[in-house]
Amino acid sequence: MTISHHPPEDLLADFAAGKLEEAHQLVVGVHVAGCARCTRFVRAIEQLAGAALEEVEPVPTAPDAFDRVMSRIENSPAASAAPPPASAADHDIPPALRNYRIGKRRRVAPGLSMRPIELSGSGKARAFLLRSAPGSRMLEHTHTGTELTLVLEGSFSHEGGRFGPGDFDYGDDEVEHRPIVGDEGPCLCLVAMTGNLRMNGLLGRLIGPFVRL
Amino acid sequence: MIAAIRAMDVPIRAEAGLTRRFEAQRSIGASKGPKAKVDWADLIGRVASHRDREAFKRLFEHFAPRIKGLMQKAGCSPDEAEEIAQNTMFAVWRKAGLFDPATAGAAAWIFTIARNLRIDLLRRRARSDRLEAVSELPDAPDPAEPADAAISRVQDAARIEAAIKQLSAEQTMVVRLSFIEEKAHPEIAGLLGIPLGTVKSRIRLAMNRLRDILDEDT
Repeated sequence: MTISHHPPEDLLADFAAGKLEEAHQLVVGVHVAGCARCTRFVRAIEQLAGAALEEVEPVPTAPDAFDRVMSRIENSPAASAAPPPASAADHDIPPALRNYRIGKRRRVAPGLSMRPIELSGSGKARAFLLRSAPGSRMLEHTHTGTELTLVLEGSFSHEGGRFGPGDFDYGDDEVEHRPIVGDEGPCLCLVAMTGNLRMNGLLGRLIGPFVRL
Repeated sequence: MIAAIRAMDVPIRAEAGLTRRFEAQRSIGASKGPKAKVDWADLIGRVASHRDREAFKRLFEHFAPRIKGLMQKAGCSPDEAEEIAQNTMFAVWRKAGLFDPATAGAAAWIFTIARNLRIDLLRRRARSDRLEAVSELPDAPDPAEPADAAISRVQDAARIEAAIKQLSAEQTMVVRLSFIEEKAHPEIAGLLGIPLGTVKSRIRLAMNRLRDILDEDT
């Protein structure tokens, strides 16, 4: 798998620092897990963070903090490698998502369906898996917020190039998209989105209200 | 600057178990007062192999107050920071066997645990606000999860350390303030006494430089 589109560096640094909201953390995390180049970058930021931890002004912990941790250690069973809850036969779903509850598939438009990913609700962005049929041409749209997209299977292309498995696409409200899905098969993407899609053109305005994305 | 150099001051164990040190130049004024050189990675190893409580206590006394300090700097309340510090040290005990000194410094590894626990805490809070019952949450994805085999991880570690050393002191400082201490750009401008535009461009340059150095010879 050759990855040619990566998240911008500041997004990776925010990811390494744990600053991203949940949906973004998820999408960037799945990209990083499959990308040696971005893994290196994230680890470099983690090393810098480790150095910051060493240098920071210490703040005394509660007087009984150590005793409390020791008693937790003594009273907890030996760490067991609990197998992750298996969502069996969901070949759709990459390993990084296996711990998440994923909702039922829902048709959004012809050739387009989505499965919402259940998040804690700590952030504003939503995350979902988006599946589009081969060769389909998505409606021209802009975003009212930001959209992070990671290709899991298949491909799509737009003005910014071709995006295959592992590729990361960053869209904000300055970007106009009209992605075309590759012919080789359906395109499965992991998407984090704030705001809403805004369909452009008459057709978009007509069907916009029915496309619940 | 100093910070970046100190991160390297951990033993790097080759796979054969040999220990060699990346000799880092010590900057003048690097430490606040005389500090004995402690091999934190070795202490974590003793916790892993012997459940060594004395080693754990030393780790606790060194890192717990620093985790609390860093979390407060990054915007946590004192109570949250205390909880994260205690949970992190509890996790250090339980996960000590997973620490690999060949691929990460002790402080960086402990930082990643604290970071993930903070993420968990924020999500748990959001979820319990929303629902009555607190359900089991998925672990935060672990970005330290290696994409490659062990050998290339060790090579990567050396490359990462070399890359960090090549950042200037000023670049390291803005990256730390912006991403790790989570300060807004205008605040950083005030702290460093430089224009806002300089803060932004310096962060951008630091990011690009780090990426460029890491990409060399790939």
